[in-house]
Amino acid sequence: LWCLLRPGAAGQGQSAAVCSPSCSCDEDGGADCSGRGLTAVPAGLSTFTYYLDLSMNNITELPAYVFKNFPYLEELRLAGNDLSFIHPEALSGLHQLKVLMLQNNQLKTVPSAALKNLHSLQSLRLDANHITAVPDDSFEDLQQLRHLWLDDNNLTEVPISSLRHQANLQALTLALNRILYIPDNAFANLTSLVVLHLHNNRIKEIGDNCFAGLVNLETLDLNFNNLMVFPRAIEALPKLKELGFHSNDIGSIPEGAFHNNPLLRTIHLYDNPLSFVGASAFQNLSDLHSLMLRGASMMQDFPILTWTNNLESLTLSGTKISSIPSDLCEDLKLLRTLDLSYNQIELLPSFHGCMRLQEISFQHNRIQQIDRDTFHGLSALRLLDLSRNEVRLIHRDAFLSLTALTNLDLSLNSLTVIPTSGLGSLSQLKLSGNPQMKNVLTAKNLPKLRSISVPYAYQCCAFVGCDSATSPSEEHDLKKSAGGEDVDRVSMIMHCSPSPGAFKPCEHLLGNWMIR
Amino acid sequence: PHKQISGVSSGCQQGGCLTCSDYNGCLSCKPRFFMHLERIGMKQIGVCMTSCPPGFYGTRSPERNTCTKCRSECDSCFNKNFCTRCRAGFYLHLGKCQESCPEGLVRSDTQRECV
Repeated sequence: LWCLLRPGAAGQGQSAAVCSPSCSCDEDGGADCSGRGLTAVPAGLSTFTYYLDLSMNNITELPAYVFKNFPYLEELRLAGNDLSFIHPEALSGLHQLKVLMLQNNQLKTVPSAALKNLHSLQSLRLDANHITAVPDDSFEDLQQLRHLWLDDNNLTEVPISSLRHQANLQALTLALNRILYIPDNAFANLTSLVVLHLHNNRIKEIGDNCFAGLVNLETLDLNFNNLMVFPRAIEALPKLKELGFHSNDIGSIPEGAFHNNPLLRTIHLYDNPLSFVGASAFQNLSDLHSLMLRGASMMQDFPILTWTNNLESLTLSGTKISSIPSDLCEDLKLLRTLDLSYNQIELLPSFHGCMRLQEISFQHNRIQQIDRDTFHGLSALRLLDLSRNEVRLIHRDAFLSLTALTNLDLSLNSLTVIPTSGLGSLSQLKLSGNPQMKNVLTAKNLPKLRSISVPYAYQCCAFVGCDSATSPSEEHDLKKSAGGEDVDRVSMIMHCSPSPGAFKPCEHLLGNWMIR
Repeated sequence: PHKQISGVSSGCQQGGCLTCSDYNGCLSCKPRFFMHLERIGMKQIGVCMTSCPPGFYGTRSPERNTCTKCRSECDSCFNKNFCTRCRAGFYLHLGKCQESCPEGLVRSDTQRECV
């Protein structure tokens, strides 16, 4: 239907599309003249052209009225032309133009005079030029403008005046410029703005009211700037869903930091020298799916996560946190990955309510024991890392529920013995670095084990069947320790370290094989 | 709807290429160009462009400029979460492509928008 409405469309009395020898045209009124080495707009194109691609040529200037024969043009592509001058009347007559692409050129200022009268323009690309100035009247007539690209230019400030009348603007990027500061009310009238990209600037400071007026903003990207203070101005953004301020110089996240942003789904804040995070910062964020906090070295209190109950991934590492709230799983029922490594946690509560947990890492804490109900009910758990703790005692039923566990890392602890009931699915087990664990381990409860690291080489003999070094009696012991099953099946273990050998035979002499 | 008819010759003749091979096309782009991997049969050809093809959006960064796929219901988009044109059967409102329109707006099939 759309084609028939537009004069010049297929079937409107034009058997072959009128075209220029420098272009290829289709029967819908589209003309592709890109990459042809042209230095001027080619002649001979149809008056009914609605889409004209002149990108990647050598058109350095646009003279007056150059497009006067294209009253139906809706999309004009002039990217990649080394364009440095556009005559004020160059775009005259383009009343139906919706998309204008001027990116990747040599413009030093916004061609405001030329943009006049483009009353239908919705998308304007000016990215990847050398624009240092945006005249106040640049977009005055462009009342239908929705998408504006000004990224990758040389702007040193937000073009506030030129944006003052853009109530219909929905998406704006000012990324990759040299903006240092955002004053209060910089975007005051942009009530329809949904997306604002400011990443890769030099923003050091922003006014506490700089985002006032952005009542519909959903995405704010402040990544890769020099902010030193948490951007409190986000309090003016009730509809914010995606927030990024990673790779800045922010030292702390205050209490109640996001109390006015209840719809937040993602917050990217890594690569900041965070030393403090307010315990109440992440409360009541029921749409938040993932929270990643690394290296907040002064943080002592576990964040309050009441009503942040759709969290699926929580990473909180490198802090001074020493305890986990016992009711954590009452809020975080949907949690799938939990990484609390490199903290100072001593006691573990029961994670019974976090039924969907698949991966847990408590590496490098101060945990001393694992109780019976610590991991009770976690039948979806696949990966459990308790390495680098001080675990002395694991209740014999601690792993009973972990029927899906494939990877268990208990290395570098203080264990003497480990329970194996419930570990029927385990394929990788790490026990090295437990010097007190000298007993011969049994393969009986670990039918699917493929890789194991143990404190002493002789303990591998229960798993890899040491032919050369084992005497007949040991062969018998091995079978017994393997539950009488065929030793070959046990030797399906692909890897056991440290592997026994000539200097580390399987005998366990006088309790210390180091004597040899 | 308009369709992307601008053909960018593959192999080493492209304007935006910095390094290239005849078999894989552009391996890296000149500054400020977007690198996009175009699939031709079993092969992938590197193409350097001033704007990403329909169905993709561009992300500029100091190191490189990349093209990323829009959401499935978008024909074109500004970023991952903001569509600028919808696929048939969807209607655009404030950057979202939905099968129905908010109260007070009606579906325009010609523009695929809520108006």
